[in-house]
Amino acid sequence: MDAKYLALAQMAVGGGLMGMAYALVAYGFQLTHAAGKAVNFGQGELVMLGAFAGISLSGIGLPYWLSVSGAMVVGALLGWFVERIAVRLALQQRNEGWILLTIIVGLFCVSLVENIWGREDRPFPTPWPAGALDFFGISVTWPELAIAAGALSIMTLVELAKRYTMVGIAVQAVSADPDAAELCGIRSRSAISLSWAVSGAAAAFAGTVIGPVTTVGPTMAAALTLKAFSVAVVAGLDSGFGLVIAGVALGAAENLSGYLLGSGWREAPGLILLILALALRPQGIFGKKIIRKV
Amino acid sequence: MKASRSILAVLLATSFSTVAMAADVVKIAITGPFSGGSAPMGVSMRDGVKLAVSQINQRGGIAIGSKKIKIELVERDDEGKNDRGALVAQEISSMGDISAVIGTVNTGVALMGDKFYVEKGIVKIISPAAGSASMTQWSKAGVKDLPIFRFASHDGIQAQMVVEKALRLGLTKVAILHDATNYGVSGRDDLIEQINKQAGKLKVVAIEKFAIGDKDMTGQLIKAKAAGAQAILIWGIGPELAAVASGKEKLGFKVPMIGGWTLSMSNFIDTAGASGNGAFMPQTFIEDESIARAKPFIQSYHKAYGVTRIPSPVSAAQGYDAALLLAEAIHEAGSTNPAKIKLSLENLKVTVKGAIADWKKPWTKWNPSNVETHEAFRRATTVMGKVQNGRVVLANPSEKFVLEGATAN
Repeated sequence: MDAKYLALAQMAVGGGLMGMAYALVAYGFQLTHAAGKAVNFGQGELVMLGAFAGISLSGIGLPYWLSVSGAMVVGALLGWFVERIAVRLALQQRNEGWILLTIIVGLFCVSLVENIWGREDRPFPTPWPAGALDFFGISVTWPELAIAAGALSIMTLVELAKRYTMVGIAVQAVSADPDAAELCGIRSRSAISLSWAVSGAAAAFAGTVIGPVTTVGPTMAAALTLKAFSVAVVAGLDSGFGLVIAGVALGAAENLSGYLLGSGWREAPGLILLILALALRPQGIFGKKIIRKV
Repeated sequence: MKASRSILAVLLATSFSTVAMAADVVKIAITGPFSGGSAPMGVSMRDGVKLAVSQINQRGGIAIGSKKIKIELVERDDEGKNDRGALVAQEISSMGDISAVIGTVNTGVALMGDKFYVEKGIVKIISPAAGSASMTQWSKAGVKDLPIFRFASHDGIQAQMVVEKALRLGLTKVAILHDATNYGVSGRDDLIEQINKQAGKLKVVAIEKFAIGDKDMTGQLIKAKAAGAQAILIWGIGPELAAVASGKEKLGFKVPMIGGWTLSMSNFIDTAGASGNGAFMPQTFIEDESIARAKPFIQSYHKAYGVTRIPSPVSAAQGYDAALLLAEAIHEAGSTNPAKIKLSLENLKVTVKGAIADWKKPWTKWNPSNVETHEAFRRATTVMGKVQNGRVVLANPSEKFVLEGATAN
């Protein structure tokens, strides 16, 4: 392949793999939106807290897999906690206060992290081999592959659970019609809590796979929430695996525009995509149009 | 009667001011980034200063005339941010009782804040900020009387050494990578100036920049690689330098990284891991206990702060020596008055034995057409360091004599 195209391919692949991380965080938005019609605008902070929890757990000597699982437990608890204190009450009162409340909880998390772990960026230890793999001249590192593999497996697992387990089906029922589900004996509150916990666990897991690539610091969340939200909106908040396509496309577009136009233009495609999607297809590229019957 | 009354008033006023001057302490401020990406330098510098101050205070303080006065420290975190740095400088210069300031890591902070010290005539020793602009701004403005001194090997010297190193490695084509801060941009300009002096021996095939917080440098590196660069000459700080090192490894782009002294920061060395090995950078100090001059300082630092590795050894040692020099100047001035301290710093009588060198008249009277008058370090007092397995060692062990027996100026 011509060196020029090879360079473009390298940038697109690197960006696309990072885009899988955006998709994974966006998947967390999708989960809570499906169950309770609310999302956590502090999702990026959960990613960061998950990463810090993972670092601390491996710091006390736990093996990699246990640290990652531990971080996911922390994430699940936090997700549940956010729903319980910030979202439930606001939704019961039928106001939009949860938007602000989830942002506030996120900001609080940043202060918490700065006080516990400090403001330094630190590396996330992994058992992966150093160096890169070569695919037809395109270099891919093990941590980048771990992002892709991790994102896909978490999303597949949750989707399977939603379709083939009793609990999953119950959550889907609540998502379709909470009142009807209640009449069938499903506690919709528990289903919503569960969705938030799973969403939190997914965010924390995202932190443990992103950390090795980007390093972990209190400010890692800021850009992530916005990008993941763009992905969720562009793909559609009920698009399922459409997120992966949108995430990969955004990641690749970012890297390519940074490469071709200069590093200052990295963030531009995400914003342009978001504006275009909102203007042309508000339900998302892969979303279903919801017809409200009156 | 009227005249005698006003004389009395003047006498009273001056007697009060001598009372204030003859207070039992001299107040010195330390400013720098104690948090954020530059923190290893800021914290080490601060702790180096504090170590010197606690040793001086344990001996009873600085002798002024017949009595000894203690040093009292004021610390301010500028977070490495230009606007915050300006606020800190404004606050300290308006406190009214600060005699001198030691600090500043980020060149942008010096550019934004130092004017407040100059206005009030407060002495400041810049360390370890190395960007050329923080001193040349005063020569460009033609300031006649300058209370700002630098105690760091400035980027002019460093860029010269980096270019010399590239030539010594037999390279002909290099890429310049730099961050978009004042430090990175002025470092790039220093490098280009030094390369131009070599009259075509070294060709710059790519110039790429990156922002603070960037984690993915593959784009810049692909361009450098495609252009045939045989080395990356780089000006930036720890986290981004580490991202460049890991990007280089990812692309299998095995060329040396040669850059500013920031390549010795712990957050570069730790984050880059094995991919940081072999990076070259100018150093004024190496944390190596086999250097007899450095040993007592290294041991007291380790003991005082419970560490086995100094986060940024250069910053710590420079902070320590700067504090010793300042204390000597206060002693020689016999006063806590900033104007008098400034005069003593420009004409130190006693040679101060520091962790880096024996400082014999490091500064002379400020001359706007020659910034070297307020620069303490020269090419001859700076060595080349190299990252090796998590530490900075001498790139060329034969340069040990420079650190061992250095008499500066």
